[in-house]
Amino acid sequence: MRALDTAATGMAAMDLQVQVIAGNIANMSTTGFKSQRAEFQDLLYEHVQRIGAQASDQGTILPVGIELGSGVKTVGTPRLMTQGALQQTGNSLDVAIQGDGWFKISMPDGTFSYTRDGSFQQDAQGRIVTAQGNVVQPAITIPQNATGLTVNNQGQVSVTLPGSTTSTILGQFTITRFPNNAGLQGNGSNLFTATPASGTATDTLAGTDGAGTLTQGFLEQSNVEAVTEISNLIAAQRAYEMNSKVITAADEMLQTTSQLMR
Amino acid sequence: MENALLVGLSRQMVLMNELDVVANNIANVNTSGYKADNALFGEYLMPRASDQSFSGRDRRIDFVQDRATWIDMSAGSIEHTGNPLDVALEGNAFLTVQNAQGQTRYTRNGSLSINAQGQLVTMGGDQVIGSSGPITFQSSDNDIVISATGVISVRQGNGTADTPRGSLSLVTFDKPGRLQKDGAGTFTAPADMTAQPASPNTKVVQGAVEKSNVNGVTQMARMIEITRSYTDIATILQQQSEQRRNALAQLSQTPTSS
Repeated sequence: MRALDTAATGMAAMDLQVQVIAGNIANMSTTGFKSQRAEFQDLLYEHVQRIGAQASDQGTILPVGIELGSGVKTVGTPRLMTQGALQQTGNSLDVAIQGDGWFKISMPDGTFSYTRDGSFQQDAQGRIVTAQGNVVQPAITIPQNATGLTVNNQGQVSVTLPGSTTSTILGQFTITRFPNNAGLQGNGSNLFTATPASGTATDTLAGTDGAGTLTQGFLEQSNVEAVTEISNLIAAQRAYEMNSKVITAADEMLQTTSQLMR
Repeated sequence: MENALLVGLSRQMVLMNELDVVANNIANVNTSGYKADNALFGEYLMPRASDQSFSGRDRRIDFVQDRATWIDMSAGSIEHTGNPLDVALEGNAFLTVQNAQGQTRYTRNGSLSINAQGQLVTMGGDQVIGSSGPITFQSSDNDIVISATGVISVRQGNGTADTPRGSLSLVTFDKPGRLQKDGAGTFTAPADMTAQPASPNTKVVQGAVEKSNVNGVTQMARMIEITRSYTDIATILQQQSEQRRNALAQLSQTPTSS
């Protein structure tokens, strides 16, 4: 019976929906996290009687047909790339991007990843790194005796060296933009990598070519909205329940038939 | 006597199909832009030689058969997503898309995205067709704004002026219920239907998607109705076969001479 399989696709889809929501809720306080949304589409239809088929020798055609659908499929879990709220931390190496763009991070294997999580640290060599120790591009080394670290809204990192009254610019953060942020692939640890769907990365500087500006001493919070997630969770749970009822109904009908024979 | 069994069977077969339709609706209760299907039945008169002129004439036999499924084109509720590339349509319009085979399809699912070539596509990868061909973005485009009439404009780089990137091609049909579902949230128009430009009252809402118009309560009620009728018919079939067995048992008793 087709209804059984159809309802099973519905249950699988709602199961995935709950998984996506669970991921969002779990990351409600993750810096730079972008919430996901499951997107569904209907599956193929069996056209038992096609619209416009010949109904008689006189050339009359069927105005409507019989279409039986076969369920639902998950087509994607796009991320919602909206700006998260900025939270003040006061830490001089915490940087938030306001607007479009990503920090470019070089990975140990030589590839690049991208992140919105600007909670940076210094490693043993004085380089600016992420919490996992990956170097933020371009590599900016802060001299040991430097004071007064400042990141301006264009991403220029400057310090005051001992014996000097003026600040020295050490470097400027690269900000990378993509034509389709939603096409980036999430790799965990707040890192994203480019995919064919995201388009080619364009390295630029903060405040130019459409890239956002930087704010020192702030972190971008997760853009998960608790109310939306909970209401989606309720909807998904009910939909799961309804699909299971369809299975029960189909099962009951089959049982009725099998009881006919005695 | 045989006919009662067959008539009952015809009803059970269409009930199974109707459950398939309901199951598909319920499976798509969270699918953006999905439109519910409804089953329609007709009676089928058994064509046979009969004579109606004498009293106690031959009776006609009616079977049930699937007549059609029709699509409920009422609007679904509009959910705010905040994604600048999500559009919901208020009014009877459809977005025009082109699938990988180059065929024109229509959809109400406005959950859009940009592909690697910078073109505006649906989640399934179908190209969204604007009033003058595909809509393509440049990599420096930001602040995508889609107006209520479907005009797409962007800010280029650091620019402060809006640059147009085309406009959505919104179309409408005389009898949208006759469109044919093609899966993946798209519809095809039968050969005798032509797309017309949508009425100016159609409103495009950016940052929102249209939810499925499946009403859970209605579908559950219909499902209960289906299972109950199915069971009822099964009971009738059972009574019929019992009647037949009794008749055989009684008729086969040889009269004993007393």
